[in-house]
Amino acid sequence: MQIELSLLSPQLFLLLWAILVFVVDFFTAERNKASLAYLSIIGLVLTAIISISSKQGETFGGSFRADTFGLSFNIIFLGSAILTVASAVDYVKAHLKHQGEFYGLILLSTVGMMFLSASGDLLTLYVSLELATISLFVLAAYMKSDLKSTEAGLKYLILGAASSAILLYGISLLYGISGTLVLDAIALKLSQMPTVGPLFILSIVMIIAGLSFKLAAVPFHMWCPDVYEGAPTPVTAYLSVASKAAGLAALIRIFFKSLASTSMQWVPLLMAISAMAMILGNVVAVRQHNIKRLLAYSSIAQIGYILVGFIAVSELAVTSIILYVLAYMFANIGAFMVVIAFYNVSGSDDIMAYAGLSKRSPFLAISMVVFLLSLVGIPPMAGFIGKFYLFSAAIEKGYYWIVVLGVLTSVISLYYYMSIAYQMYFKTGDDDSPVRVSPTMAVALVVALAGTLLIGVYTQPVLSAISGASSAFF
Amino acid sequence: MVTLEHYLILSALLFCVGIFGLLTRRNAVGVLMSIELMFNSANINFIAFSKFITPEALTGQIFAIFVITIAAAEATVGLAIVVLMYRNFNAVNVDKINFMKW
Amino acid sequence: MFSSDFPILSVITYLPLIGVLLILMIDKEKVGAIRIVALLTAAINFLFSLPLFFACDPSTAAFQFTEHVPWIPELGISYFFGIDGISMLMVILTTFLTPLAIWASFGSITEKVKGYMISFLILETGMLGVFVSLDLILFFVFWEAMLFPMYFIIGIWGGPRRIYATVKFVLFTMIGSALMLIAIIYLYYLNYQNTNIPTFNLELLQSSQFPIPINIQMWLFAAFALAFAIKVPMFPFHTWLPDAHVEAPTAGSVILAAVLLKMGAYGFLRFCLPLFPQAASEFTPLISILAIVGIIYGAMMAFVQKDVKSLVAYSSVSHLGFVMLGIFTFNIQGLQGGILQMINHGISTGGLFLIVGMLYERRHTRMIGDFGGLAKVVPVFSVMFMIITLSSIGLPGTNGFVGEFLILLGAFKSNMVYAVLAATGVVLAAVYMLWMFQRVIFGQVDKKENETLLDLNLREKLILIPLIALIFFIGIYPKPILSRMETSVKNLTAIVQQKFRVEEDNHKIRIISGTPMDKISLNEVGEQKNE
Repeated sequence: MQIELSLLSPQLFLLLWAILVFVVDFFTAERNKASLAYLSIIGLVLTAIISISSKQGETFGGSFRADTFGLSFNIIFLGSAILTVASAVDYVKAHLKHQGEFYGLILLSTVGMMFLSASGDLLTLYVSLELATISLFVLAAYMKSDLKSTEAGLKYLILGAASSAILLYGISLLYGISGTLVLDAIALKLSQMPTVGPLFILSIVMIIAGLSFKLAAVPFHMWCPDVYEGAPTPVTAYLSVASKAAGLAALIRIFFKSLASTSMQWVPLLMAISAMAMILGNVVAVRQHNIKRLLAYSSIAQIGYILVGFIAVSELAVTSIILYVLAYMFANIGAFMVVIAFYNVSGSDDIMAYAGLSKRSPFLAISMVVFLLSLVGIPPMAGFIGKFYLFSAAIEKGYYWIVVLGVLTSVISLYYYMSIAYQMYFKTGDDDSPVRVSPTMAVALVVALAGTLLIGVYTQPVLSAISGASSAFF
Repeated sequence: MVTLEHYLILSALLFCVGIFGLLTRRNAVGVLMSIELMFNSANINFIAFSKFITPEALTGQIFAIFVITIAAAEATVGLAIVVLMYRNFNAVNVDKINFMKW
Repeated sequence: MFSSDFPILSVITYLPLIGVLLILMIDKEKVGAIRIVALLTAAINFLFSLPLFFACDPSTAAFQFTEHVPWIPELGISYFFGIDGISMLMVILTTFLTPLAIWASFGSITEKVKGYMISFLILETGMLGVFVSLDLILFFVFWEAMLFPMYFIIGIWGGPRRIYATVKFVLFTMIGSALMLIAIIYLYYLNYQNTNIPTFNLELLQSSQFPIPINIQMWLFAAFALAFAIKVPMFPFHTWLPDAHVEAPTAGSVILAAVLLKMGAYGFLRFCLPLFPQAASEFTPLISILAIVGIIYGAMMAFVQKDVKSLVAYSSVSHLGFVMLGIFTFNIQGLQGGILQMINHGISTGGLFLIVGMLYERRHTRMIGDFGGLAKVVPVFSVMFMIITLSSIGLPGTNGFVGEFLILLGAFKSNMVYAVLAATGVVLAAVYMLWMFQRVIFGQVDKKENETLLDLNLREKLILIPLIALIFFIGIYPKPILSRMETSVKNLTAIVQQKFRVEEDNHKIRIISGTPMDKISLNEVGEQKNE
């Protein structure tokens, strides 16, 4: 078996860089720790460059495949890591101990996700999923003396580990049915089988349940609001985008590659999950007072929208999901950046505390509005093009009612997103002192704004870049 | 003669015990142990399938070794968080830890 | 006038954004400079757009000044701008009223001027984009994008119940447009799967080789019509309108009445009728009846209002009922009347809102009961108020008369009963408007505060004079406007009636295609037959 290590170069490079960050951390004085953030960003940017320029192919007997699909998701993981680290600098300095490990763990988690999106068999997929998740357990509980953070860490750990055990059990059944772990081979085997038995259904249900935990899709979303609220906000931002994107990458790899021939069995299930996520996420978000909880419920709803595109199981589905996750990355991390910047000054995550923000920092307020509108899917923001693609994919296959549900729940989402805009613009707060935004944060915000607006207006380059992604499946 | 079914039934039972423990145990360490049971039930599956379905390839057994490693890592992080929880809340009972609604 | 490749429509659409950039660079304390830049931008935009009125070729119904660039070629989405006789008038109406509205807010808006002017200019870009877009997705982008500047204009600078009003406005509009988006995507796939041409281009969809089955047409029409009916607003989707109008700042009300409501009617003209002609004919009775209910209901409600502004708001519901009735007569008089009435309503109701705003700035009340005898105190104001009121009623010699007359003429041709019922609306309009006018302007000055009111200043006169000039100009000599929309209107009726014929001939001729000119000649033959 020919092994081509060069295909793994982005992942290996980032792994080494993460170790470098841990090592440099030893020799850095406490007051200079912030420089580790910039070191991490450099590593992530270099990895992105290496990812784009390295060649494509598969190695380790098909266990590892570097293709456009994996590359697209890698860019999403790296992008969210870069934005998260950039937005975290001041927060970490002010609220967390052990700064070096914080950045190192984010890099390690990103490495795990990058292996995940490139995995060609269930073993690689499972191990890399765990690498990504275990780092996140630690990160969620990172505020060691904070009760909420500990609680978030514990809940995330218990439910995350339990879900991964369920996923594992599902994988073991799938292995038993098909006799192989390689995704291509499973597809071949399944297509030869005349009928599918109850064991197969059980295995699919368990795999969907296990991955739905990672996605925080209803009814496996219970951990999500608490963990999002309790975890340090940069970690929440990273969790809400990168971890979900990783779950999606795994879901697409397994279901579009191995189980496509049995789509009749699982599409109704995912459709139901999607509908429940859109309804529950949007309806419950209306009643939230903590902005992190609100964004948590909104992220549950966002997964619902993404699954609308997913159930189409078509080329357009792959394109639309990548496009949407990219738009979601800029908008959601952007919104969390505003939350972080505001928390750094005010120490509050209460939506009421945002009253009068338009006066205190017009830049933060208008950025928040742009990000929220993108999450609703209002043109010309990126979210519109993304949702348009997702819904197009579903309509192409004739799933009308779920699209109707999708747009109607979007209107509900508009209502609660507007309640934030309402506080920022229509209310006046007690405190009139300006909210200072640090230069690093400002640059990160501008990048997120540019991403949100540019993808919305000038989508073509992105589309042509990801156009090859679906060729891995169809 | 022990057949594949026997192993599968064993692993299914073990898995159910794990789920049951996960839902009913109030001690955090007990919850972690229940999750270990679930991992190990999957391991039994892998090894049984490996022996009966693909005896010539050892894929399933290799997978089981990986799972043991991962479960160890998970338990390490888990116990660290439980220690943290004991320090902060002075309790290992998960019922006590309810600052935010579940 | 313009070289053919000069992107005049893009220039007009995006020029306000350049103003926005300039304003962003000005310090927010320099209110005067911000106001001047905003006003100049809007005024220059009007000057840019004015030549369109003369350069637009009235002899063809084809789209002119087109700009066509692929945007997302995979899905056939293109950046496609173009105007015909109908949208040209809407563009000029928009560019004409925006500077007046901005100028009118010099006095009333003193807080957060920078944000206000930025919102207003972005709003103008959105509105113009809606009128010039010929690609369904591009249209949708502008249609939605225009919502949020308005959200902020009402929500930040509005009256006491502004939050309720603005949230209601946005949610109503969003629900309608959300379903329209699904219909747009569905229409795309329907066309794509049957003709293998991926396109959102309105022209191509209109001349598509694939006739949409009538039952699907009904659904698509309903989805589009809901979005537009909420915007118009037609009874019973009108409930957001009085709230939004009453709470919005003066300039917001002007633009809302004069332009935003027209988008609904324009949507029917541009999308619903040409794309789904058979469904349109099936829906005609329903829409006509709702329009008539709107005319009478709006008038009745206006009659009992105590607040001048909400009286004008309800009169809008009534007037827009006329517009819809005219459009759904499907004959040339009715359609021309409907389109002319869209413009008239923009001028006269816009003018009324300006007048009410000026009154409010002086007295800080809009209650009819708080006024009386103003004719003695503020004569110039009273005269201008009277002219605009009469135009709103539709007195002969003013613009309102021409529009309503044509609509009623068209309605008589298509259905006598509708015309008679609608005519009662004209009578009611005279009653409520004149009664309000009498209570405000005539009689004794019995409130002390009213004795010291100042008459209009130069700025206010200059804002109202163009409107009054137009009221008389259109009232006496409407031909230039009617002739410019005539060909487009004929083309529209041709499309609708041709498809009717296809239906009647039991699908003998399955496909009608060709250039718009062919359709006109076909239609003229058809019309002679009808007569």
